Amino acid sequence: MGETKIPVDLIIKKLVEDSEEAYKTVQKASDVLLGPLDTQIATTPYEVVYEEDRIKVKHYKPKTGVKLKTPLLLVYALINRETMLDLQPGRSAIQNFLNEGVEIYMIDWGYPARKDRYLTIDDHVNGYINNVIDFIRERHNLSKINLMGICMGGTFSVMYSALHPEKIKNLITTVTPVNFDTDQGLLHVWMKTINADKMVDTHGNIPADMMNFGFLLLNPARLMIDKYVGFLQNVNNKTFVENFIRMEKWIFDSPDIPGETFRQFINDCYKKNLLIRNKMELGGHRVDLKKITMPLFNIYGKFDHLVPPEACELTTKAVGSRDTEDVRLDTGHIGIYVSSKVQKEFAPRIAKWLKERDKSEKESPGRKKPVARRTVAKTKATVSSPKKEKKEISA
Amino acid sequence: MSENQNEELYPESLMSFWMKSATDFWGSTYRMWSDATEPFQSKGLKSQFQKLESAPKMWQSFISTLSTPESVNALFKGTSILPEAMLQTLQSGWGGYSDLQKEWLEKTSRIGKRMEAYKFEDIDKDLFKAWSEVYEKEFRQFLSVPQIGLTRFYQERIGQTLDRLNLFEIAMSEFMSLLNLPMEKSAKAISERLEEATEKGELSENFEEYYREWIKILEGHYMVLFKSTEYIQVLNNVLDAGENYSSAKNHLIEDILQSSPVATNKDMDELYKEIYLLKKEVKKLSKKGS
Repeated sequence: MGETKIPVDLIIKKLVEDSEEAYKTVQKASDVLLGPLDTQIATTPYEVVYEEDRIKVKHYKPKTGVKLKTPLLLVYALINRETMLDLQPGRSAIQNFLNEGVEIYMIDWGYPARKDRYLTIDDHVNGYINNVIDFIRERHNLSKINLMGICMGGTFSVMYSALHPEKIKNLITTVTPVNFDTDQGLLHVWMKTINADKMVDTHGNIPADMMNFGFLLLNPARLMIDKYVGFLQNVNNKTFVENFIRMEKWIFDSPDIPGETFRQFINDCYKKNLLIRNKMELGGHRVDLKKITMPLFNIYGKFDHLVPPEACELTTKAVGSRDTEDVRLDTGHIGIYVSSKVQKEFAPRIAKWLKERDKSEKESPGRKKPVARRTVAKTKATVSSPKKEKKEISA
Repeated sequence: MSENQNEELYPESLMSFWMKSATDFWGSTYRMWSDATEPFQSKGLKSQFQKLESAPKMWQSFISTLSTPESVNALFKGTSILPEAMLQTLQSGWGGYSDLQKEWLEKTSRIGKRMEAYKFEDIDKDLFKAWSEVYEKEFRQFLSVPQIGLTRFYQERIGQTLDRLNLFEIAMSEFMSLLNLPMEKSAKAISERLEEATEKGELSENFEEYYREWIKILEGHYMVLFKSTEYIQVLNNVLDAGENYSSAKNHLIEDILQSSPVATNKDMDELYKEIYLLKKEVKKLSKKGS
């Protein structure tokens, strides 16, 4: 490397000039950091209505009254925590849904312990999710409920809807990978080559720190340097510091991933891309996406580096439903849920879509429809103007 | 000093003197104890004691024989052979050890030769290749020396763990070095940019502009690196090496814990699996029942 002439004298001159201002900033920063800070996350009141093993179901009821007959179950990913949907007042998807009169149930997957290492995707989808849905159906005396999945939770929701279409009224997928055969995102490139079997055999559950380090490595310049430079530049701004700490709390509050679930997700989805090809099997049952006949609303981010558009946009074409809609937002993977700009549109748009399809359907949960599932969905689709739409919204 | 006194200092005389004193002491002690306990001895016990009397007498005669100067001389002649034998043994052992040491030194000198073969200008990947080669060819075999004896399995485990740790460290260093490459390249690019601006007299007073530019360049370099097959290979190597080390370390810890009243991960995993399968079965039956 050749020597370069860096104008040190000019840099020093500039530093001296800025020193007074820097002193004031440091003093203010000290006041901010040492003073009381509100950095709590997930503050919207809820009630835990269901518990099974490590999982809990949180129930949120709108204060202004329920405007939708069918409640919405949110299924978050096993990576990081569902608290992201209720990060802070003003940046809370949960709050926005409640403001729209949507009654929310949300699965908290908890923190898997070593004993959970043998839990498979089948245990999560046909076990926990199915039990939770049965519980909600019974609680509301409904045969079907609305289901919304986030990221990996969306993939689970797609699997569930294909295996149990008779229990799902409307399906919403957000930043949900279904087509894994893409080189658009680094995650997809890396996951295709890692030895998941060896990782699981060695670690049991996949350690959260290992996953977090992997995510930071997706963009170290921004996530390990620029982010903290930004923090230092705004360290004297109390609101900025509070928001920053909330985000840090969420990012590094990561549960381990149950080993067998990770193994199957990497091998069957990332490596073999079985889901979109209708070849994936859960508990001995083939997941056929054509059996997803309920209305489907598919939302993803144009600048998502974790789940790129290519991984999401084929879903609507792969399912059996005729009432589908794609929405591509000008934002990233997390921005969909936490960006103030996107939030103004995200929940209200979903609520509107649900309201349009929220016809009364009160039945006893045990009662089965006499007509074939596909026929029912097609009829419903006709009622709610069947269409395959694709929309782009700038955030 | 008289001739007699001199003789007493020789080992033969000292030995003879010590043996006689010892025989006299234990002989009189035995007689005293025998006389003192006589009134309390039953008939049976007496006959046992009479039999026992022969033992000290035998010892006495044996010691007396040994205490004669001739016997002591013979004994000491025998012991003088011992240091000689020990010396011979040590010599052959030391010879073997020094040969081994010589071999080690030769191996160490070869390390330098191997390193010289690579140019440090192209240090990026070649250094780690060289390091890995040196370790695998020159050091690794010492950790794989066949172990013997009762504790061979434990020694083998320790050797294996150290080996895996070394391999992991090599892989990790290579990985970290690769991660550092974009930093180096972007720093060079931005310093060239600064130099150019200074020469033209267009140096901006707002250094944040340069920082923003540097971050952008750095991000670009990382994106290119992360998509390269070389990076993916190194990433997989480090994961693989880390898992190998973790696995070897866990086996070693499990061996150590065997003697302690603590359940190992292996024990618990077996139990967890059984619980998992049982729970699944119970849930299935419970659903069927309801």
